[in-house]
Amino acid sequence: MSFNAIQILLVAVWSFIVAIDQFDLLESLYQPIVTGAVIGAILGDLQTGLIVGGTYQLMTIGNMPVGGAQPPNAVIGGIMATVFAISSGLDTSAAVGLAVPFALIGQYMVTLLFTVMSPLMSSADKMAEKADTKGIVRLNYLAMGALGLLFAIVCVAGLLGGSALGETLTAISDKYAWIMTGLSTAGGMMRFVGFAILLRIMLSNDLWGIYFAGFTLATIIGYIPDLSGSALLLVAFVGIAIALYDFQTRVAIKQNAGNGGNGGEEDGI
Amino acid sequence: MASNATTYKDLTPAQPLDKKTLNKMVWRSLNLQASFNYERMQAAGWLYCILPGLEKIHTDKDDLSASMQHNLEFFNTHPFLVTFVMGIVLSLEQQKADINMIRSVRVAAMGPLGGIGDALFWFTLVPITAGITANMAINGSIAGPILFLLIFNIVQMALRFFLMNWSYELGSKAIEILTANAKEFIRAASMLGVFVVGALTSNYGGTTVALTIENGDSPIVIQSILDGILPKLIPLGITLGLYFLIKKKGWTPVACIGLLLVVGILGAFIGLF
Repeated sequence: MSFNAIQILLVAVWSFIVAIDQFDLLESLYQPIVTGAVIGAILGDLQTGLIVGGTYQLMTIGNMPVGGAQPPNAVIGGIMATVFAISSGLDTSAAVGLAVPFALIGQYMVTLLFTVMSPLMSSADKMAEKADTKGIVRLNYLAMGALGLLFAIVCVAGLLGGSALGETLTAISDKYAWIMTGLSTAGGMMRFVGFAILLRIMLSNDLWGIYFAGFTLATIIGYIPDLSGSALLLVAFVGIAIALYDFQTRVAIKQNAGNGGNGGEEDGI
Repeated sequence: MASNATTYKDLTPAQPLDKKTLNKMVWRSLNLQASFNYERMQAAGWLYCILPGLEKIHTDKDDLSASMQHNLEFFNTHPFLVTFVMGIVLSLEQQKADINMIRSVRVAAMGPLGGIGDALFWFTLVPITAGITANMAINGSIAGPILFLLIFNIVQMALRFFLMNWSYELGSKAIEILTANAKEFIRAASMLGVFVVGALTSNYGGTTVALTIENGDSPIVIQSILDGILPKLIPLGITLGLYFLIKKKGWTPVACIGLLLVVGILGAFIGLF
């Protein structure tokens, strides 16, 4: 089955939109249930699109992007699974299987973009120094556009190259897997730069203990699987208790000092 | 690098933000993660979201610059609940609160929302609505995806608008009580902020090593030895190391990122990760 130019263009446009939507916009258009129907409609087989989208949706429910983890990208997975189901008449799980190499490439694209955007934060700092509000807006739209474009390219390539391209991609990505491991490991460490900058500003010498206390409590709670979702909320409760106690004590000391000072003068002590 | 100013030049409170500006920022909040990156995560997107308000509040260009700089520091919260943080921070900005106070409140508010948002959206709303509507789609009904989009987005948008207006009011009311004991409050808020950053170091720190030493039938796994000394030792060590490089050695964030890239890729090449 071959596709005409308008269909290819529309798939590219939809890939562009949902690539951005996976992090921004409505954060719901990218879900397979929606994307399957849209791609199905574009390729002229809405029924298959609905079925593949619905089935893939049920498969991904247990696999949500929680806490910043990146599953092999569900956006491209949904688009390519629908494409393969329609073009080759496969059932959903076979079509999802063929989509995996493309979903993996999509995940790599996200890793790459998040890495490249990190040093760009220094340009953002310079814009802030000059109060260049337009620059900040432009930077954000450019990043969104770049993500959309990368995904559109992958999806169109998949549409034209078919599952044969998927096999080639798997072979290549197996060979260079260590580069992506390196990038995502480096990416996982870059947040510590953000923490270090915050600490540089917020941490006075007498707050080191508080820093380690927060670290310790989060580590302990983190080892209890049932609490992993609410860990930071629980930590915040304890933090609020400590901060509130400090606040109330210091306010009380200040007021007492004021009273004591006045009394001292009157009593002549 | 972040500005070292701790107070704004113009300390007269700005006009309260009108509904139109608040609503404009709610729409912008949809694109919080536009420039997401590994170093500061949502920081530049966060700044983009609150810019309409900051431009109205800070008519002095130096103040606008100072505000933009401190709002570009590490930021990460749940995208659907971000307007709660926006409302509070904007009310403090509008009152020209001490920059350290704004920073501490921002850091303290962003952390805990992540778990709440995940529980609300990814573990509750999406599984339920998607579960029901996916079956409709599998049966060939176009109502499946349409219903899914409607339910999800009505809940999402209602929450975004409500949280923005509610927390902006909340912050405006709280500020009077807080300024009476500003020095004490800033200290307490910094404590909470540092406590949360400590927790984030552990909670967001997933870096582990995959190194093993051959030892017959029972190879020695380096990571489990490290966990025996102190769990999350690597995230803590890297954070403290970077803090040292930035604070004592004057390294720029870009230099730190470059170092991590080299470590990451070289480490992956030799099988460290």
